[in-house]
Amino acid sequence: MDAVERANADRQKKWVKDQKVGEGTYAVVYRGRELATGRKIAIKKIKVGQFKDGLDMSAVREVKYLRELHHPNVIELLDVFSSKTNLNLVLEFLDTDLEMIIKDRSLVFLPADIKSWMAMMFRGLEFCHRNFILHRDLKPNNLLIASDGQLKIADFGLARDAADPGYKMTCQVITRWYRPPELLFGCRYYSTAVDIWSVGCIFAELMLRTPYLPGESDMDQLKTIFRALGTPTEEEWPGHTKLPDYVSIGQFPRTPLRDLFTAATADTLNLLSKCIVYEPRKRISAKDALNHPYFFALPYPTHPSKLPKTIAQTTAAASRPLDEVDGNVDLNSGAGPGATAAGTAPPKKLKRKLSGHDTSRNIARKLDFTAA
Amino acid sequence: MQPPPSPDVTSPAKTPLFHSSTQYKNWRFSTEQLRVTRTALNEAAIAAIRNTFESDSPGSSSDVHFLDAHEELLLVKLYITKISQLCGHFRFPEEVEATGITYLKRFYLKNTVMDWHPKNVMLTALFLATKTTNHPISLESYTSNIPRTRPSDVLDLEFLVAQSLAFEFAVWHAHRALWGLWLDIQELSQAPPHEELERVYDTALQHIRTSRLTDVELIYPPSQIALACLTLAHPEIAASWARSKNAEAALEAIESIKRTITRDGDIPSVDVVREIDRRLKICKNPEKVVGSKAYLAKKAKEDSESELKRMRKADNVRKAVEQGDPFGEELAREANLDDDD
Repeated sequence: MDAVERANADRQKKWVKDQKVGEGTYAVVYRGRELATGRKIAIKKIKVGQFKDGLDMSAVREVKYLRELHHPNVIELLDVFSSKTNLNLVLEFLDTDLEMIIKDRSLVFLPADIKSWMAMMFRGLEFCHRNFILHRDLKPNNLLIASDGQLKIADFGLARDAADPGYKMTCQVITRWYRPPELLFGCRYYSTAVDIWSVGCIFAELMLRTPYLPGESDMDQLKTIFRALGTPTEEEWPGHTKLPDYVSIGQFPRTPLRDLFTAATADTLNLLSKCIVYEPRKRISAKDALNHPYFFALPYPTHPSKLPKTIAQTTAAASRPLDEVDGNVDLNSGAGPGATAAGTAPPKKLKRKLSGHDTSRNIARKLDFTAA
Repeated sequence: MQPPPSPDVTSPAKTPLFHSSTQYKNWRFSTEQLRVTRTALNEAAIAAIRNTFESDSPGSSSDVHFLDAHEELLLVKLYITKISQLCGHFRFPEEVEATGITYLKRFYLKNTVMDWHPKNVMLTALFLATKTTNHPISLESYTSNIPRTRPSDVLDLEFLVAQSLAFEFAVWHAHRALWGLWLDIQELSQAPPHEELERVYDTALQHIRTSRLTDVELIYPPSQIALACLTLAHPEIAASWARSKNAEAALEAIESIKRTITRDGDIPSVDVVREIDRRLKICKNPEKVVGSKAYLAKKAKEDSESELKRMRKADNVRKAVEQGDPFGEELAREANLDDDD
């Protein structure tokens, strides 16, 4: 046996697969544990042999970035080993994701809870951006929640290094509802600001408990954005009419955020508005967001361990099956956010698939914190 | 302003980004470590291959002239130059070329050329680098543009190469660090005219390319290599850069990098390498030669082992079914799909 094979076999022996908990086109997910400690883990087995171009790009991206990134708010890749022609990623085990929590109607979110999730989200994202990594697929079900309440950014299947100035990147990224207008207009030169837009949408969704900008097609997405935020003017977003896929959508008036987010504080709306600025260069950075007055004002963020939990989290989480779902493929086609990069295999995920799709969620509800 | 009043999340200490990279942690060695590693790999390979020869027909290994570690390295070095040629042909960006070269070097810190000939490893390392640096091309258009190369030449080794790299694909390159220096030196107060600076940068970049033929990237951080190359190109500018950063001490640290690049940066002579390659045909590991007696024997052994495993697993499932396990049937189906755990 070669030294490389031997080292691989030694690594493989450290982990035990207990139970298959989900299967997708590209990967099978197992719940397992570390042999020495009994620590719970998830093993994502990626089938490699079946691709005509060899190792699949989203697997390459995920492994490349998770190997380098170690942060409390980024999912931890514990080990990688191979079995025959399969690639096995050993990941920390996480109970649930933010989408599950948002959809759990029995949970009430306090402003302090939202602030805590936002702080963790921005910390994880600031770390990615500090490492020049664009995530390019932020959405609630890519934000996993550990048993201690820590939020972890997951799914780096579409991530890439920020390109040098002048180098093109694909605009077919980020799930539609969380995709910024510059990408919808076909912009091929973009920055960390694309992730900030997604975070803004998630911020709003945490307050509304329903997706903030749920477009039904790429064109409808732009219309949905403009209906909510007003059609951008040349002054607000210089040059946007020159973008490759620019189309005139019609004139919508700007309605104040206050009209929809009736109970939010001024700081909250100020930070939200800075995340969803049309002009990408004026959008707030993750670092500046962490220093925004919102995070210093009362109420202080909830301690992660005290954040709302789904029933699955509180009751025997160990026995609950974990399901696997193919990232950007929307299982309920039509109203869903739709697939992202053409020609990019959808990334795989370690999380529960949502059984039903609540169509009523397409309509944003007004938020009333007084009820909470 | 007080610090964000958030929960007990201890943010990681602010260390340089490079220090948390896999390159910093797992792919830096001393000159001595490199020598020991290569010698050990070489000796282990010779022992194993000799053994295979002897078990095939006793006495057959006595007159085989095996390669030594230095000869292996020379052959790898030649194939580093082939990566540069291919990248020119495909017009791949510098990042792809540099990454492919790094992968090739790292591969041979875990393997020997007597097991895996650098030609296909080189092709695979470069193909993998196109993907890890976000410049993917289809395997079909890759191999069809390289003479006498089939897709399987690349695919068969891709997993082995990825595994040898420990799936650590991110590489920090000296040419990126040099780009940073280039931006800095344009800001120096007594900077020479721009045209001259451009010439200096181009010369320094040539030294970086030369450095890829040497071991320096396995020993030193990219920033020091870049500064060494700038010093080789124009010592005064490098010195005033160091003064501007209060980093004059750095100039002493890079002396050995300059020496190594100047000493080892030459392209190996084709005649010498051709002779090594000729000998390699005789001493390469027969277990790795597809179709050979030793290869078939090894494969048969592996196949029978995995067949045994499958049967054991199917047996367990059957038992479960007989004992009335309600999930028995489903498991049986899974077991058929899934034969590797």
